[in-house]
Amino acid sequence: MRRGKAPPPAASPCIARIGGRAGLVLLALLPALASAEDAADWLQRAATAARQQTYAGTLVYQHSGRSETSRLLHMVDEKGEHEKLVNLDGPAREVIRNNEQVRCYYPDAKIIRVEPRTYRNAFPSLLPQQLDTLAGYYFFRKAEIARIAGVETQAILFEPKDGMRYGHKLWADMTTGLLLKAQLLNEHNAPIEQFAFTDIQIGIKIERDSVRPTYTPPPTDWQMRESLASDVVPQDTGWTVKDLPPGFSKIVEGYRTLRGKVGPVVHIVYTDGLVAVSVFVEPMPQTPQPVGLSQQGGINVYSRQIDDHLVTVLGETPGTTVRQIAYSVTRR
Amino acid sequence: MGKFLARPDGDWATQSTEFTPEEVSLLVDGELDADRVERVCRSLREPPAVATWVCYHVIGDSLRGQCAPLAGFGDRFSERLAAEPTVLAPPRSRPTPAAIALAAAATVAAVGVVGWVALTTMPAPTEAIATAQQAGIVRAADMRRPVVNEYLLAHQEYSPTTAIQGVRPYLRAVAADEQDAPR
Repeated sequence: MRRGKAPPPAASPCIARIGGRAGLVLLALLPALASAEDAADWLQRAATAARQQTYAGTLVYQHSGRSETSRLLHMVDEKGEHEKLVNLDGPAREVIRNNEQVRCYYPDAKIIRVEPRTYRNAFPSLLPQQLDTLAGYYFFRKAEIARIAGVETQAILFEPKDGMRYGHKLWADMTTGLLLKAQLLNEHNAPIEQFAFTDIQIGIKIERDSVRPTYTPPPTDWQMRESLASDVVPQDTGWTVKDLPPGFSKIVEGYRTLRGKVGPVVHIVYTDGLVAVSVFVEPMPQTPQPVGLSQQGGINVYSRQIDDHLVTVLGETPGTTVRQIAYSVTRR
Repeated sequence: MGKFLARPDGDWATQSTEFTPEEVSLLVDGELDADRVERVCRSLREPPAVATWVCYHVIGDSLRGQCAPLAGFGDRFSERLAAEPTVLAPPRSRPTPAAIALAAAATVAAVGVVGWVALTTMPAPTEAIATAQQAGIVRAADMRRPVVNEYLLAHQEYSPTTAIQGVRPYLRAVAADEQDAPR
């Protein structure tokens, strides 16, 4: 537990730059800047709690002036993790996770999408290299203690050092570390996307049945869309990003098969330790494709045509970042 | 965020002026690098740049459903801007490129509003505005496009946010489908 640890003395370049009295005043006003290890500690605790704790709550997802309420249940038994997310507004949708497998239910479209191995790659622990990038490209500090959904939380802040990434504010349960609220912040510190529990019960008993899909067994006229062999087959694809924004490094490169795509699609993933950007390259489809920038909540997507290929760059970053990457995708 | 996205990249880069349409677009969006802002703003004294600049604003306006482009606006605007004193002194403390670009774009936009209000009766639309309207329509269609879901799901698999937040980021994929359930 590092929470009680005293923050390091004004070691941050941000404070060191500001001299004299102004610096002292600022130092008194600013919540303590904590170390990269501290930051990693909080992230690690949040990731562990999300997997190991049993909890049920009402979750509100806000983005682009919209607000959607869902019910989230998570439990662990001898077979592992079971999670159920049901939206309460709009068309009924459901996400069921059993360990690595994620199923999305769309009753209105009578479709079930099965993602067999989705969770395997989401790293349960931070790599040392991620720690370095975190420290290099974000200021980390502990902010206020706040009550979220009736629970005492510690707010922690990742402030980007450049314009290539968003700010992140996370509220973690003081006891378990579970994230009860998360915001993506733009350059004006305004939230562009927020996940927040409005009520939560942690450590309660949840029956296995309550995390099963509502539609069991699914009606016979529903389509099951299973993505087989959806893994990236790691290999050199010949595609590269020549002007990668600083702090991003490649974690995977290869081909994968995706539903609705004719041939294998190039998938390259870059991360700065906190977020990721994916580059997809596919042969230019016959039908006209929308190109340019589009945004949904915290996700920005930029598509453009390069010769007879369609390049799509997608990530939890500002539009500038996906655009820069899209414009520097090239064939070696 | 309007761009001439329906066009191949080369078309616009061939113009032999001090700016590229991409730069003007970035300026409008507040995303132009600080070191390019001054040069592009200077180029806004020339009609071709102003036409491009107006174009991007018309795209933005039509996307927001506020489209009533006035022809000849670019020329009049250009004259007014030429009459304005140069205020592009280098900033003392260096704010972020985005802040500079936003400020510059906002200044230009403020002037634009004055010009817009002043000009009510105008002749036929210029070519630039017609093009902008077309591009606007293309983009308006794009804006309704939900995030490419297969890609989003594939991306989620490797994103650290998935590790930190569990299944919650999947709300994005599910929400993205709202207007357009998977086919």
